[in-house]
Amino acid sequence: MQKPIATLRSATGIPTGRLAIWWVIASEIVIFGGLLASYIMHRIGHPEWGGYAAHTNTVAGAFNTLVLLSSSLSAVLAHQAAEGGDGPKAARLLRLTVLGGAIFLCVKGLEWTHEIREGFTLTANGFWTFYYTAAGLHGLHVLAGMIILLFVAADAQRNRELQRVELIGIYWHFVDIVWIFLFPLLYIAK
Amino acid sequence: MSTAHSEPEHANAQLHAHPNYIQIWGILVALLVVSVCGPMLGIKAVTLITAFGIALVKAYLVAKNFMHLNIERSYIVFLLVTAVGLMVLMFGGVAGDVMDHQGRNWRNLAAQEEVNRALAGVAGESGAEQKGSTPGPAQPVAGAEENFKIVCSPCHGEKGDGKGAAAVALTPKPANFTDPEFWQTRDKAHIEKVITLGGAAVGKSPLMAPFGSRFSAAEISALADYLMRLKQ
Repeated sequence: MQKPIATLRSATGIPTGRLAIWWVIASEIVIFGGLLASYIMHRIGHPEWGGYAAHTNTVAGAFNTLVLLSSSLSAVLAHQAAEGGDGPKAARLLRLTVLGGAIFLCVKGLEWTHEIREGFTLTANGFWTFYYTAAGLHGLHVLAGMIILLFVAADAQRNRELQRVELIGIYWHFVDIVWIFLFPLLYIAK
Repeated sequence: MSTAHSEPEHANAQLHAHPNYIQIWGILVALLVVSVCGPMLGIKAVTLITAFGIALVKAYLVAKNFMHLNIERSYIVFLLVTAVGLMVLMFGGVAGDVMDHQGRNWRNLAAQEEVNRALAGVAGESGAEQKGSTPGPAQPVAGAEENFKIVCSPCHGEKGDGKGAAAVALTPKPANFTDPEFWQTRDKAHIEKVITLGGAAVGKSPLMAPFGSRFSAAEISALADYLMRLKQ
């Protein structure tokens, strides 16, 4: 199969795929940045939200932060392995990253189940609306990343398309960074 | 896609020395522990620094070492900084209106009301816990004053003298409750009717909105009593 010529063009100085992922990240910054900036300004305007935030589970949030940081480590180690030409090792590390994403989503599911049972639903008040919207949008990004990671891992297993290991890694690290900011905003500041 | 195609492209990527990723992960985890423990001291400044300051440091470490932004082309960094700049621009443009619930000639009544209701609810809960009883009969009067401040004062003024911030733009001017002449032709039933059905119901300005669906009969009665006490 013939490859589109654009993927090999280097007028920009970097591989086109990597340029594309940076554009994705830039647009994601605007999406998450807009959401978090809106949350921050509303949070400052509503001193009572601190009381609502007291009901979020800090231990679960901290554990999930640890999980995502660890999954970022496995993603970057996969990139290192891919650069060394060791596709199967990269694939194993990518699947470990997927496991981290799965644990993250499971913990999130348990958290939400408990909170919804307590009556803290999406429409309870402005704080919970932001909480579920921001964490939900982030969760969807985790899920999307996991699916792509599995595809990239399947190729890497056979030493194919190893450059994609770095690309999905950049995306995954960005998802990690978003959580790094969501954690103090939703769990720590009470 | 074949291996033959992918390898040249991967080789085309800038190969670089890899930092000790496990060591960086260790630093990130240590920072996480600090960001969780810091707020336990209960000092606001410490909470802000440990929670948000450390989040910035963690994000920097991930972007630099895991995303390799430190060795990426500079225009990529400019691209990302521009996106962050757009976020800051959006925040700077609207934050003032969202964070403050009143300004020159405007008030965000819904937000003020939500804050007051929530804080009153918290105070009520803690008061009931402390006293072990519900608030006494003075409560409805306090509620009327609060309702007046939220709903009436933007037009009728804090003192009820018809000189609220929005009065500048209104024709006819809002009623002056402190004027004895105003009360010569009005009684409590009339005031209650205006609050419930709006100004148009008594042939007055339609800009005086009806509040019958917003307040209970008891609240409207208490509000009318409060307005009558404003007479000088």
